[in-house]
Amino acid sequence: MHAPDAEQSDPPRQAEPWRRRLMRSLLYGRNVDRAAKAKARIGLAILIFTLGYAVITARLVMFAVAPDPHAGRRVIGHDAVATARPDILDRNGEILATDVRSPSLFGEPHRIIDVDEASELLTASVPELDAPELRERLGSKRRFVWLKREITPRQREQIYRLGLPGIGFLPENKRVYPNGAEVAHVIGHVNVDNQGIAGIEKWLDSRGLADLHMAGLATDRLQKPVELSVDLRVQHALRDELVAARNKYKALAAAGLLTDVRTGEIIALVSVPDYDSNNPREALDPTRINRLTTGVFEMGSTFKALTVAMALDSGKITLKSAFDARFPLQYGKHTIHDFHAQNRVLTVPEIFTYSSNIGTARMALSLGVEHHKQFLRKLGQLDRLRTELPESAEPLVPRRWAELNTVTIAFGHGLSVAPLQAMMAFGALMNGGHLIPPTFLKRGEQEAMALATRVIKPETSDKMRYLMRLNVEKGTATRADVKGYYVGGKTGTSEKVVAGRYSKTKVLTAFTAVLPADQPRYGLLIMLDEPRPTPESHGFATSGWNAVPVGGAVISRIAPVLGLEPRYDLPTSDKLILASAPAR
Amino acid sequence: MIRLLNILVIAALVLAAADVYKIKFESTRQAQRVVKLRMDIRRENDAIAALRAEWSKLDNPARIQELARRHLALKPVEGRQFDRLDQLPERPPDLVPVDDPDPIGTVLANPELVDRTPTGSLPARAPR
Repeated sequence: MHAPDAEQSDPPRQAEPWRRRLMRSLLYGRNVDRAAKAKARIGLAILIFTLGYAVITARLVMFAVAPDPHAGRRVIGHDAVATARPDILDRNGEILATDVRSPSLFGEPHRIIDVDEASELLTASVPELDAPELRERLGSKRRFVWLKREITPRQREQIYRLGLPGIGFLPENKRVYPNGAEVAHVIGHVNVDNQGIAGIEKWLDSRGLADLHMAGLATDRLQKPVELSVDLRVQHALRDELVAARNKYKALAAAGLLTDVRTGEIIALVSVPDYDSNNPREALDPTRINRLTTGVFEMGSTFKALTVAMALDSGKITLKSAFDARFPLQYGKHTIHDFHAQNRVLTVPEIFTYSSNIGTARMALSLGVEHHKQFLRKLGQLDRLRTELPESAEPLVPRRWAELNTVTIAFGHGLSVAPLQAMMAFGALMNGGHLIPPTFLKRGEQEAMALATRVIKPETSDKMRYLMRLNVEKGTATRADVKGYYVGGKTGTSEKVVAGRYSKTKVLTAFTAVLPADQPRYGLLIMLDEPRPTPESHGFATSGWNAVPVGGAVISRIAPVLGLEPRYDLPTSDKLILASAPAR
Repeated sequence: MIRLLNILVIAALVLAAADVYKIKFESTRQAQRVVKLRMDIRRENDAIAALRAEWSKLDNPARIQELARRHLALKPVEGRQFDRLDQLPERPPDLVPVDDPDPIGTVLANPELVDRTPTGSLPARAPR
């Protein structure tokens, strides 16, 4: 289109020197208006540069507004091998488990000049190292070998001074449990790579921490700590008393459990013998298992509370009902005796306080097998109880449930449950009838109520608490009557099965308590495995002579810690609990 | 005119380059500082974690109990040592007038002034 223009401007161009004309024709072609073309090109250049600067500006703004997400990770990350775990705290914020950074020693065999010298010097600084193994490792063809995980800062200093090539340190997170064995059965432990092996530690991993580890992301210690429902002070007091009791009664094992009956929180869980979480090898010893969740036991007479609650809740049986306990109960070739035999007709409260096997058996029989089974299923006694702890035991339920099973299960034989499970049901009997799944994590009352299912009527719960208190006032549990705390409790002694028969001498004694009985807050379970008679027990090894006094000692020690207000001069249970309960 | 504009643009370019260089230099310095501070924070956090672990080890109830048993005459608290405020007995009348110049002397001179009523949480002391 510039052609005519070019035609016109042709003559002056003749004045140009030939060299310049050549250049121009090479650069722009012949017959082209240089000025117009240059203008267009400049316009294009301006456009390109403007676009370029616009992109740069936009990027700058983006950088300024959104911080670079990779910047932080590039700095951290490469040095922590054993990954970080969140701290575990008790309900008051005391540390139960935390990470401490400690150096680990590694070698790069291809960079080591003299293997013999290196291993000699290293074993001199770190005596725990095994010399032949060390030599073999350093002489191997691999590019990276661990020599010793978690050395002390002093050893690190010494080795650093040796100036050996091909030997280095990596800081690693090491899990430490400052309280040692006190909470071992709750929090469990980790392996050398900081992976949870047992207890809450394993539960943490199952919650996705393991996946984070895989991705190499969980190296930061700024993870949110996990708050447990456990109270370290109570846990310690309970353990201290149980260790003393185990020595005093020469029992195989002792276990104690304190739950908040209103929220299902586990405030303390102790099973001695236990192990030190810092030394996980001890956990392999089968006698050190957590008897409260991984063991199942025939709970003995403490189970009668469930039978009596079932009877009262059915509406067919009241506190005034009486059952014939004059003669031992003949059932096929089995005879059911009473330990504290009264040989007369007993009312329901008497059956409870004398812990009559015959009475409870008759009570259960009068309601029928199916009703009994249904009730226990409703209370969660026939299915495996799952908590945060990965270890759990399935209850041993008879495969064929005949009348004889109902008879024996009524007084706590023939059905083995985990003690934690029994305590869940016990809590429901006490707190007004709400079955709340137990937890090791902090939980509020409303949250608990949302999870709860109603299993018995509130009036039944009132009557049960009356019976529990009555049993402490004038029954088998008088030795646990700690003044001021209005304790209610039920004892239980079950004979252990030895070689297929119930043994007369090897028993498991238990004591379940509620405090205070009129305004239930806490449920306590004390269990002693094969306690021996002591000089002051007149040859008896039943619950009233060992588990109950231990329970009393525990209560008088933990109640002030729990902040329970002692109240004196309270009326007896028939006036305080029964009279205030709404009439049905 | 054009020449002046060119000179101005070149001057602006030089200034801009110098400024960019300065910013770049500064940002490198800041980045290094961030890295250093982050490492410091990390080291501090590690130290805090170690100290906290040590603290809770020293604070362990079993250890405190053992120390208390060995060195103190104190005993565990019992329920009867607590009481409610409204159950406190009335404040006894002053033993001596408030403006007594020598209250101790007055009490010593009149031993019958001392109130020997046992209080709620403590049992009556056995007579010596």
